[in-house]
Amino acid sequence: MGTAWLFLIPGVALFATFVLGPLIFSFRISFYDWNIINSGDSIWVGLENYARALGDPIFRRAVLNTAAYALVTVPAQIALGLGVAVLLNQAIRGKSLFRVLYYLPVITPWVIVSLIFEFIFIGQGGLANYFLKDVLHVTDQNIRWLADPILTFVPIFLLGIWKGVGWTAIIALAGLQAIPRELHEASSVDGASPWARFRYITLPLMRPTLVFLTVVLTIGGFNAYISNLLITNGGDPLDKTHFILTLMYEATFTRLDFGYGAAISYLLMFFVLVMSIFQIQLLRRRVEL
Amino acid sequence: MKRASTSMRMALVATALMLIAAACGGAADDTTTTDPSGATTTAASGATTTQAPATTAAPPEPATVTYWHTMSDPETAQLDNVIAAFEAVNPTITIEPTRFAYDDFKAALLTGLAGDAGPDTARLDIIWVPEFANLGALQQLDGVMPGFDEIASQTFPGPLATNFWDGHYYGLPQNTNTQVLLWNREMFEAAGEDGPPETLEEFATVACALSDAPNEKYGFALGGTYFWAPAPVFYSMGGEVVDEDITTATGYVNGAASVEAFTMLNDLHTSGCLSPNLLGGGIGTADGLATGSYAMITDGPWMVDIYAGNFPDFEVNFALVPTNAAGETSSVVGGEDVVLFVDSDVTDAATLWMSFLMSEESQKMMAEVGVIPTLSGLIGDPVMPDYFDVFLDQLQTAQARVPHPAWSDMDNAINNAFQRMLNGDQTPQEALDQAADEINQLLG
Repeated sequence: MGTAWLFLIPGVALFATFVLGPLIFSFRISFYDWNIINSGDSIWVGLENYARALGDPIFRRAVLNTAAYALVTVPAQIALGLGVAVLLNQAIRGKSLFRVLYYLPVITPWVIVSLIFEFIFIGQGGLANYFLKDVLHVTDQNIRWLADPILTFVPIFLLGIWKGVGWTAIIALAGLQAIPRELHEASSVDGASPWARFRYITLPLMRPTLVFLTVVLTIGGFNAYISNLLITNGGDPLDKTHFILTLMYEATFTRLDFGYGAAISYLLMFFVLVMSIFQIQLLRRRVEL
Repeated sequence: MKRASTSMRMALVATALMLIAAACGGAADDTTTTDPSGATTTAASGATTTQAPATTAAPPEPATVTYWHTMSDPETAQLDNVIAAFEAVNPTITIEPTRFAYDDFKAALLTGLAGDAGPDTARLDIIWVPEFANLGALQQLDGVMPGFDEIASQTFPGPLATNFWDGHYYGLPQNTNTQVLLWNREMFEAAGEDGPPETLEEFATVACALSDAPNEKYGFALGGTYFWAPAPVFYSMGGEVVDEDITTATGYVNGAASVEAFTMLNDLHTSGCLSPNLLGGGIGTADGLATGSYAMITDGPWMVDIYAGNFPDFEVNFALVPTNAAGETSSVVGGEDVVLFVDSDVTDAATLWMSFLMSEESQKMMAEVGVIPTLSGLIGDPVMPDYFDVFLDQLQTAQARVPHPAWSDMDNAINNAFQRMLNGDQTPQEALDQAADEINQLLG
């Protein structure tokens, strides 16, 4: 028992120093008009930073944008990832190659792919406009994707989905491979169609995996940051396209409003916590075959 | 997504904890020493890299002076020569430069300062000096730095003024710049125009004559809606942001000339003579000018080096910003100031280094790589590249943005007003009225 603690010390010490300590400290900052250089000059403002955030239309818009991002990208990643996993779970030639190919987007750096997606959706020309205007002829003029507070999200959402499918597929594949083969064999002997086998065997047994994916991807969705920062320059146009974290960053490092930034961080943590508890309650029911 | 989102959160957490761990250090300091002179060192200040003794040390004592900056590649290479020249004269002092990306610089400085790991000296964007001075991070120089008055008197007044906050000077103007008009000769000649427009009225006409919006060709383009982009046209039209004493924006940012400037830009946009790229997601101004998408842009002296690297065959043509009805041209002052941080414990060595940066020798060396000096005595010096002439001319009338700690927020208010009018949500007058209200709130 004593030895166990000895082994835990490095990890716990690192966690306490670099995660727990700062967490508590930023909680403190969130109640101040914080002066980063002379913290002694900071002014206690109570809950004002929180009240300001909740009353700020830009923050509320950022929450809606972030929620929309999670609502669109999480189901899309799970559906596509599950589809890819089912295909990869077949006895097909070159399975490993496909696994690598689907995983490639996951390991590409966010900054680079964000810039590539921005380039594809450039408003004066660009691949997306070329395709829509010159190939499909659905529009006769260039669409100003990144100048529009709604259309800007097309590349951001697509990027989020494209980049996440590979990881979702690998996790889903692990879940699929844990399903006993006999269940599928027995049901096909009984004459169950492939769809029936998917619907009544695969999906129910995948429930723990899907719960895990939903929770983790939603947390990831609410923490989306880099793609938005690069593609919208942090909120353009008119601060209508912020995610919670781009607004937090802007408040903290551009406007040096550390208390407000810390309050936004804690509000984000609260949303994610509530949502995760809700999702786990909703999805974690016993599997009955 | 997991891996990606994890790395994202890791990056975020890393940033946050660096900052907050640093803040802890700062807070601990404040509880142990409240001495505003900063002379007292605490245990936490061991984080600084310098081995030098406290402020009372004489320059001959060995000292290391840290210097943070955001110079370009050619400037950074030349800085090494400047440092070598300084160290040759001051063999006991070592200069330790650190280069940052402009976008990361503010966060890096704050993190460093909060954790007592900040630099002794730095080259700051002129618009940040009041902000950092207001935070209490910068050392007042007038009456403190030896030879300050003499150096200050040799500099251009405009750039020097960017160091003034709350009755004192918190820096020295290390270099200056401004924006002028850049024009694409081929496009002008193809349309039968023989030269750049001289008045803003001609400018608007020419911009439209050279535009072919359906084919994504525009007479004029701005890099964005942030204030720096429209500032040359704004100031040249006679626009103002606030009154001289920085007490109100009413009648200034929404005054007749300011509204006229934004109305002109807004009309150019509506009639397809100003590229829509300024609202995001378009062809960049520098590339667009060189590749024949844009006939005119406004930009700074660094474009010479940028074009030499990216478009070596492009003929770079500068002209003064077109004049208003009264025949006056103007533009916006940019540049960087060298500052001394209050936490420095090698102030004597640091001020020697700052004086050297402001010397003719160092300013001439930097001018060789396109950095415009701030010493008025260097005008006409043969070492200056020919293209400096137009910038020095423009600097005679160029104006500084509002030297106020809340400038970032004021910039944002004007930026948003510009976007609202471009989107057709408000008329220029309505948009600027709202900006005036927002700026007044910032002025308290």
